Parts: sequence; C-alpha cells; structure tokens
Amino acid sequence: MLNYIWAGLIIISLIFAISQDVMDLIQDPYQNGKEHKIQINFPENGDRGKRQNVRFSIQGHEGTFDAAWRPYVDNPEMIITVDSDMPELWLKIAQDKDSSNEDELLAEVVSFDAARGTALIVLPEVYYVKLNAIATAAFDMAEFAVTLAIGLIGIMALWLGLMKIAEESGLMHILVKGVQPFMRFLFPNVPKGHPAHGVISLNMAANMLGLGNAATPLGIKAMEELQKLNPNKDKATNAQCMLLTVNTASIQLLPPATLVALIGTGVNELMISILIVTFISLVIGITAAKVYERFHPEDEHLENIPENQKIEA
Amino acid sequence: MRTIAAFILPLIIVLIPLYGLLKRVAVYEVFVVGAKEGFSIAVRIIPYLVAILFAIGMFRESGAMEFFMMALSPILGLVGFPVELVPMAIFRPLTGSGSVGVLAEMIATYGEDSMIVKMAGTMFGSTETTFYVIAVYFGAIGVRRVKYSVQTGLIADLAGIIASVIVVNLLFG
Repeated sequence: MLNYIWAGLIIISLIFAISQDVMDLIQDPYQNGKEHKIQINFPENGDRGKRQNVRFSIQGHEGTFDAAWRPYVDNPEMIITVDSDMPELWLKIAQDKDSSNEDELLAEVVSFDAARGTALIVLPEVYYVKLNAIATAAFDMAEFAVTLAIGLIGIMALWLGLMKIAEESGLMHILVKGVQPFMRFLFPNVPKGHPAHGVISLNMAANMLGLGNAATPLGIKAMEELQKLNPNKDKATNAQCMLLTVNTASIQLLPPATLVALIGTGVNELMISILIVTFISLVIGITAAKVYERFHPEDEHLENIPENQKIEA
Repeated sequence: MRTIAAFILPLIIVLIPLYGLLKRVAVYEVFVVGAKEGFSIAVRIIPYLVAILFAIGMFRESGAMEFFMMALSPILGLVGFPVELVPMAIFRPLTGSGSVGVLAEMIATYGEDSMIVKMAGTMFGSTETTFYVIAVYFGAIGVRRVKYSVQTGLIADLAGIIASVIVVNLLFG
C-alpha cells in the first residue's frame, strides 16, 4: 500500500507539472519576450553612461518604481526592485522566474532614447515553472527531513534516559501491572508483564495531553520494545500496526499547541468537539486494526515466543 | 486539564530519577546509557523521513491538489460535505506544516467564528499526519514492510474528517 501511495505521489506530481508547463508553453501567460515601454526619470544632471539608481514608470500603469541603471556598452540592463503596485504580470514573473531572489527583476534594455528617457525593456523569460518547482521541493524537503530528524536527537535522548531509569528502578513494572487489562485487549500478542505495555501507556497518555515532545520519543521507544518480540525484523507485527493506529487516532483531551496559537480563545469551544471526534476516530481506528488482524493471523504464534525462548529453539 | 498538562512533564522528569534514587539505582549512569540510543535512532529515521517528505513536497508543489479539489468538489457537495474543507482533508494526513498553512488561510478568509473554521479546526486537532508518524515510528526500528498500518491510520483519519463535520454541525449548528 505504502509503495503504491509513495510512487503515486511522485508520478502524479510529474504528470501534473508537465501538463501545467505544456499549457504554459501554449498559452504563454508570462508573455515571454514581450517588450515593455517605460519612462525613466534620471536624477538631475545624471550621466546616462554611469551606473545610478533611477525611478521609472510603466506605460499604461500607475506609479513609479525603483531600479538600478547598468549602462553596459552593447546592451544596458536594469535591476528592477519589485513593488507590490507593479502590474500583475510583472509580479508573477518575479515570483516564478528561475533565480531565487524574488525582490529583483533583471530587465534587458533593447532600445533607449537618451533624450526623452523612454526605453523598451524585456523582462526575464519564464519557462517550466512547475517542473522546477517540484524538483526544488524534492531537494528542500530532503534537507528538511534531516533537520527534523536531527532535532529529535536531544528529546529522544532525554526520554530514553528517563525510561532506562524507570526500567531499572522497577517503576515501569508497577505501571505495566496497572495498565495490563487494557493493554492485553489492544496487544494480545505481547506477553503478560512485558515492558512494552508500560511504554505504550505512557505514549498514549502523552498523546492525549497533546505533549508532542514526549509522545514521539515514547512512541519510538514502544516500537523498539515491540520490535524485540518481532520474529521478522523487516516486517511490522500486528501489535506494531495497532500502536501506530492508536498514535494516529489518539483521544485529545487538550488541543495541540499550534491550534491554540492559530485560533486563540475560540479553541475552548473546539475542545469539546475535538474530544468527541477523536473518541470516534479512535474507536473506528482500533476496530479497523482488529479487523485487519483477523486477516493476518500468521504472525500470532510467532509473536508469542519471548526473546529468550526463541534463542533456545 | 490545562493545569494538569502543565504539571505533568516537570513532574515526570523529576519523579522518575527521584524514584530511581530511592531504589538505589545509579541514576546518572543509567540515564546516560539510555540516552546514548537517541542519536542512532534519529539517524536511523532519516532515510524513511526523506522518502516520505520529498514525495509529499513534490505533490504539494505540482498543482495536483487544485485538480483533485476541483474534481472532488461536486461529488462531496452531493453528500453534504463542505467543499471548502477539501484542502484540509487532503493535506492533513500528508503534511503538518502544510495543513497549518491551510488552516491559517481559512481563518483569514472565513473568520475564526465561522462554522467552516470550527470544522477545519476540529479536523486539524483530531487527525494526525499519518505518513509522518509511519516514517518516524517504523523508521526508528528499521521496519520497511508496514503491512496494513497505512490503511488503519487513514481509516482513522477519514473517520475523524467525517466526524468533524457532523459533530460540529450538531454542537454549534
């Protein structure tokens, strides 16, 4: 399933990007190569042959804008500072052109009347916007993924350290005993009294309270505990699928911090609706996982073999 | 509830080592042994996270989303699902930051007291970025064949999406 979704995302992206870019080639929404007539106001006594800052107005459009005049001998250039009052077309070109700086437009001056200050300029040409965009997105997100993972190191270390103390001190054992009945229902294949039960219950509690910083490391730790029982290290067990399901569909007693930041005090009202909705989705999620379990019974007997017995066998 | 949440983290962080001390555990040494794993786990997640996130990033930029919204709108309109919520419903399982953007935009457009934003907010608070969770959780333990967990995660998300509309309608409609 994941294979198909993953490949689907990439293939669909490519198809849409290509079709959009082909449409652009036909419709030419950027009017590539079009000559725009402008009126340049040079500063008093300014020498047209020198680099200087100028203001200019666009024919048929209100307002004056800033630019830097670059009088190279064969063809002068203007580095135009992008302004939100510019024509739509200009703004669109500035945003979608190749070079990363969206605040500047490099225009080529094709003809210039020094006496009157009028000029014809050509803006940068824009082609294959979407294809460039998806390639950029792929690289950016790849980089972002590493940032995310690296950001996890510290929090992971903190929680794994605390969990180790909880294990050694016997605190985890107490917790496991307390949550046993519920955990036995959700994870029937996990042996009674296994530390996984304790970590899973902590992970679920952190999820309910919207404590993302604690929930993720605890969830990972719980996965590790379940992995110790996994005979086929490459393939998820039913228990691991259940753990993932209750993590994506956890009851939320408190709304996530991002939602509070966005909606403000209105979030108090939403607490009730979120509580009800998450309860519904958790019940449905667990039911779905339980149904799928029935179709994957092959793992059951294998999972029941605890680590130590497996070595003997 | 907010008070409990404020207390719980500091309490856990203090109580676990404290209990360890009482049980005569070499708390510092044991902590370091456990914490050592943090780095290797984070590094192990990277390939999984890269795989998921770059595909989603490409999809987001390709403009396919707009097409699906257009295609889905009439069908969803027939069953009474508000068309404005389609971007949130599609984005939410895929990307956390993307769905934050969608929600912020909806608040700016419809106002935070509107029914649509209440539904979108409930949806945001009730569902999870399933693909990210799969990448992180299964990545950390090196499981590549995730079996039916994608389906169950998405079923739970879908239930949350549909329930958001119904519940908000019943509560505030």
